[in-house]
Amino acid sequence: MDELAAALKAATPQTRLLAGGTDLVRAVRRPGSEPDVIIDLTGLDELSYVRLDGETLRVGATTTFTELQSDPLVHEHALCLGLAAAQVGSAQIRNVGTIGGNIANASPCADGATALTALGAEVTTLDGAGTVRTRPLGELLLGPSQTSLAHDEAITEFSFSALGAAHRSAFAKIGSRTAVSVARLSAALVVRFDPAAGSLTDVRVALGAVGGAAFRAARLEQELQGRPVDEDTARLFAEGCVAAVQESIPGRYSLPYKRHAAVGLAYDAWNMLALVAPCEPAWV
Amino acid sequence: MQLLLTVNGLTHEVEVRPTARLLDVLRDELGLTGTKEGCAEGECGACTVLVDGKAVNSCVMLAVQARGKEILTVEGLAEHGELDLLQQKFVEYGAVQCGYCTPGMLMSAKALLMANPVPSEQDIRIALAGNLCRCTGYAAIVAAVKAASGHDATPAMVLPGEAEELAVEVATDPETLAIVEEVVEAAVAGLTEGTAPAPEAFPSPDAPAGPPGAPAAPSSEPPENADDAEGGD
Amino acid sequence: MTEDLQYVGGSYPVHDVAQKVTGELIYGSDFSVPGMLHAKLILSTIPHGIVKRIDASRAEVLPGVVKIFSHENSPMTRFCRARIHPGQDLAPHDETLFSEHVRFVGDRVAAVVATSRAAAEAAAALVAIEYEELPALLTVDEALASTDVLVHSTGNVAYEFEVDKGERPDLEGAVVISSSTSTPRVHHAALEPHVCIAQGHSTGGMTVWTTSQGVYAARTVIAELLDMEYHRVRVIKVPMGGSFGGKTEYIIEPVVAFLAKETRRPVKLLLDREECMIATMVRPATWTTIRTAFSPDGMLLDFEAASTLDAGAYASSTPDYSVHMCKKVTKLYRVPHYQHQSRAVLTNTPVGGAARGWGAPEIAAATEIHMDRVAAALRLDPVELRLKNMVEPFDTDLVTGLSLGDARVRECLERGAVAFDWAARRARPAGRGRLRRGVGVAAGAHKNGMFGAFPEASNMSLKMNEDGTFELNASLHDPGCGVVTTMKIIAAEVLGVHPDRIAAGEADTATTPFDYGTYGSRVTYVVGQCARVTAEKVKGRLLQAAAELLREPIVHLYTRDGAVRVRNDAARAIAYRDIARLSEMRHVPSISASTTYYAVSNPASYSVQFAEVEVDCATGLVAVTDFLAVADVGRAINRGMVEAQYQGAVQMGIGYALYEHLDVDEQGRGGVDGFKNYHIVNAPDMPDIQVLLVEHEGDDGPFSAKSVGEIATVPTAPAVVNAVNNALATTLSDLPLVPERIIAALHEPEEVPACSSC
Repeated sequence: MDELAAALKAATPQTRLLAGGTDLVRAVRRPGSEPDVIIDLTGLDELSYVRLDGETLRVGATTTFTELQSDPLVHEHALCLGLAAAQVGSAQIRNVGTIGGNIANASPCADGATALTALGAEVTTLDGAGTVRTRPLGELLLGPSQTSLAHDEAITEFSFSALGAAHRSAFAKIGSRTAVSVARLSAALVVRFDPAAGSLTDVRVALGAVGGAAFRAARLEQELQGRPVDEDTARLFAEGCVAAVQESIPGRYSLPYKRHAAVGLAYDAWNMLALVAPCEPAWV
Repeated sequence: MQLLLTVNGLTHEVEVRPTARLLDVLRDELGLTGTKEGCAEGECGACTVLVDGKAVNSCVMLAVQARGKEILTVEGLAEHGELDLLQQKFVEYGAVQCGYCTPGMLMSAKALLMANPVPSEQDIRIALAGNLCRCTGYAAIVAAVKAASGHDATPAMVLPGEAEELAVEVATDPETLAIVEEVVEAAVAGLTEGTAPAPEAFPSPDAPAGPPGAPAAPSSEPPENADDAEGGD
Repeated sequence: MTEDLQYVGGSYPVHDVAQKVTGELIYGSDFSVPGMLHAKLILSTIPHGIVKRIDASRAEVLPGVVKIFSHENSPMTRFCRARIHPGQDLAPHDETLFSEHVRFVGDRVAAVVATSRAAAEAAAALVAIEYEELPALLTVDEALASTDVLVHSTGNVAYEFEVDKGERPDLEGAVVISSSTSTPRVHHAALEPHVCIAQGHSTGGMTVWTTSQGVYAARTVIAELLDMEYHRVRVIKVPMGGSFGGKTEYIIEPVVAFLAKETRRPVKLLLDREECMIATMVRPATWTTIRTAFSPDGMLLDFEAASTLDAGAYASSTPDYSVHMCKKVTKLYRVPHYQHQSRAVLTNTPVGGAARGWGAPEIAAATEIHMDRVAAALRLDPVELRLKNMVEPFDTDLVTGLSLGDARVRECLERGAVAFDWAARRARPAGRGRLRRGVGVAAGAHKNGMFGAFPEASNMSLKMNEDGTFELNASLHDPGCGVVTTMKIIAAEVLGVHPDRIAAGEADTATTPFDYGTYGSRVTYVVGQCARVTAEKVKGRLLQAAAELLREPIVHLYTRDGAVRVRNDAARAIAYRDIARLSEMRHVPSISASTTYYAVSNPASYSVQFAEVEVDCATGLVAVTDFLAVADVGRAINRGMVEAQYQGAVQMGIGYALYEHLDVDEQGRGGVDGFKNYHIVNAPDMPDIQVLLVEHEGDDGPFSAKSVGEIATVPTAPAVVNAVNNALATTLSDLPLVPERIIAALHEPEEVPACSSC
């Protein structure tokens, strides 16, 4: 890690950080885009981990999607992240693609971003001066291919409250085909279900691939807070997703499609929670 | 920069530019052209190799990322000239047409079977989701992978090796050979005596083959004078 | 079938399978010769304009750069990338090596030749081009409407064609139905990119290693362009990773040959995927309107159609393509009167041309979608409607006047409907839930070679070696579908030896006799029959030699398992190798034969395909859940490969129906730059395909075999579209049925995105 800080210290705006490489390799080979230095994080095992630290789950930046997909801690405490990881690209991409690289690349369609946003993740970084900072993911992801990372700053870890036994989470994605497709819409849903009260609390809804970066549908979350687990809530959830999609990309060419597809996305995510029997959207 | 890469069990020292891809080093520096380039963007999987047992797209991996790791390419599958089981099944199940996707398919399948020796059809299709094929529709490939994991179902194709067995059977029996040698001797004797053999002694080079395009019986009609053929003199 | 066949009908891997599974086979893209240079193309970034200035100063000084070529230092002789022989009709010479007048984003402006690929790429990025932009015609409508902006000086309509055959009967009481269908611009998506290597020799000769599907044709174009005598130009077909028509035409061969001649070094040009998608060729987008008149009980009385193709920036083979779109319907349906107009329109977009099926998939999409429309209007089952109007064996094609041969399409439809349980599935209601299922059927027809429209013949020779093995010498062009294997099986059957005792290579203008190449579905039917006839001649010679040696009349002899044998006397047989040895001693150095085989017929090949789909009405995604392809193949030479070809062909057709489309934006640029957003069906989305082969004797192909490779993909897309329309009770007819179109059809029917210049 000291080596990393030292390498970062020497970084210039033309320096690039290499994690998996599935995005970076193409970028640095474009004529005119050659970096001065590539800092290769591939060998840094210190950044590849999934740890439960009290009630916080910590995920190292160079953990690959294959690792996330099969990690038991992720499965138990951050299922939506594991589900998202399983749907990133192909096996070849998942084997080397990292969660840190995915976030730093800041594609608005990044599946990892949607899941981490629902989990309320914070990002820890290290810079050339050796400073360690932690900030909310939403402050790091600014827009398409835009982050607030300085040129000498590397993501080292993602952390968030581990979901407990009472939590359920889901991740759903609509691409152009079943597998190996960039998301056209994605949703991550986290709820806490209290059987005694029969209602949902701690509802979190993150939407991705609409707008510049994944975001939380705050108003929808409030509407769902405290609601029972029934078909009406499912419908409310779907309608809320549609409204959130509508607001995020007004006037965009893809809006008529995404507005409708959001219904399917919402029901897919809802059904994945497996709190009740699967429901279908009611058609007029 | 200097780089040590272990490929198919052999360690190589190569000189590479920092942004050289693993694919380029394998193909251009090490001459291992079995790994193909189909898209250069990690989508088609033709460039798939195994790095420490995991399938990766070598077209979006820098060569430096592979240092200190075990790289396996399609050339490393067969041992001492004997095809690996997966390769054999690809042959048997007709899973190869143009063959351009084949090395990548084999490597993805190899990685799958190493991690999951008895995969379901769904597991196989997901494992191959990043390997595109335009010739086969994937069916024979999936069947071949299933067969390699022990679920032989479809009848196999006729394999190249069977030709050997047939060759052994074909031999002229000694008796016939004796008669035939007589005929030949006679013909040759005629020649050495300076007498040109009768034209009938030789198969005529321009026997009619029937009208063009006729799917008819073979041209076994003998030329008129064939029955008279009896050696040269 | 009654013949007792030993090899034909078995299943064989492709002849070079061992090299393919070990990675040993050298494809064009793997090929290199010592001292080879590498080229990189510089392509136009604007859709229409004039190159005013090329500043290569920064590029030229890069280490490794040998030379940079453009219109300024290359011949501006025009050629036709699709021409088969000199003087051919419908071969517009409208293209130059490099363009001064650029006509689409992707047009060749210049090429860098350097000592390495990396150097060539780096240099290419440093060449600055200044254009004078001209207004661009990006859609067929714009091109047709424009009177002052012309893609080529000869006008924006590259070709117009009309066929009008038969007599219109009395249409009193007839039901008239209209439809219009559009098909998208599509990328062939062969896994290996386009590649060519050429080397100029100090003798004044040139060798070209190509993946083209017609070496002789390529040679005429190259030799003419470079003003070389043909015998000095050697064109060799190298192993290739698929084509599907995208490598039929000589797009980069003339360029590479020129670069090799100028630099006097070997030069290799290997395109990347983006260049393959926009700068080689595409399957042209089409629009077809059909108007039919049917009797109320479903008899087809009158068929009128008009088709428009987007030829793109150069005419290429689209004139011929547009003709062939008019020659498919009457291979399939009986109709008293058939009228079809077609035209190929030039636009400032990627060049359209040869693609698998040569217009048949495009017109089948329109026709079969139309037939379902008719069935709905007449309240007839779609299978029933087709059966009422389908051709019978040995009908005459109304348009070409040729016999359709032993046309078994009716049988395909009947047997397929049973095998697919059509009636029961069709009767099942799709429901109104989120997931809705539907079934669809479609039929297609294609030809077997060029007889009737173009000279059609093949040449080959076959010789026996001293050890009783054989060598076939023919200009074969195997795109990867088993052409070489097919020829070996045919010869093997005749000669009574295992196919592996026969060697056959691919085309080389220096050593293999003239053949047109692999296209037009001519290979099995014409080239294959040439192989049969040639093998029969050699067999005849073997029998004659054996008759001599065994002192038996020929009628007492037969060939089997590498020997000539005496009937009813198992002990008496003479092995081929002994015939060879002994004949040689009798001054017959080699038993061999050559043939020029002229095709005598051009029957149709048919396929009827059934699809079941499940549509997710929330997301618009369509899953193909079941599929049956029935094939009228005459005879399967290599059964396993016939089925395998069908599976691949259906993959292509599903993509055509649901996923694939290459669009250009308002700046004329392709909106796709690779497989990331150009989706071909991958393994998880590919359903299980059942293939049912219908085999009958009756035509003039080898052992009655007919073509397979193109017909297999002809009816696939409309079968899928018809199934979707069945599931949703819609009338979608603009391919592909991407989710947007499905959702719009369900929720906002007035706003279904149409395909103007898709």
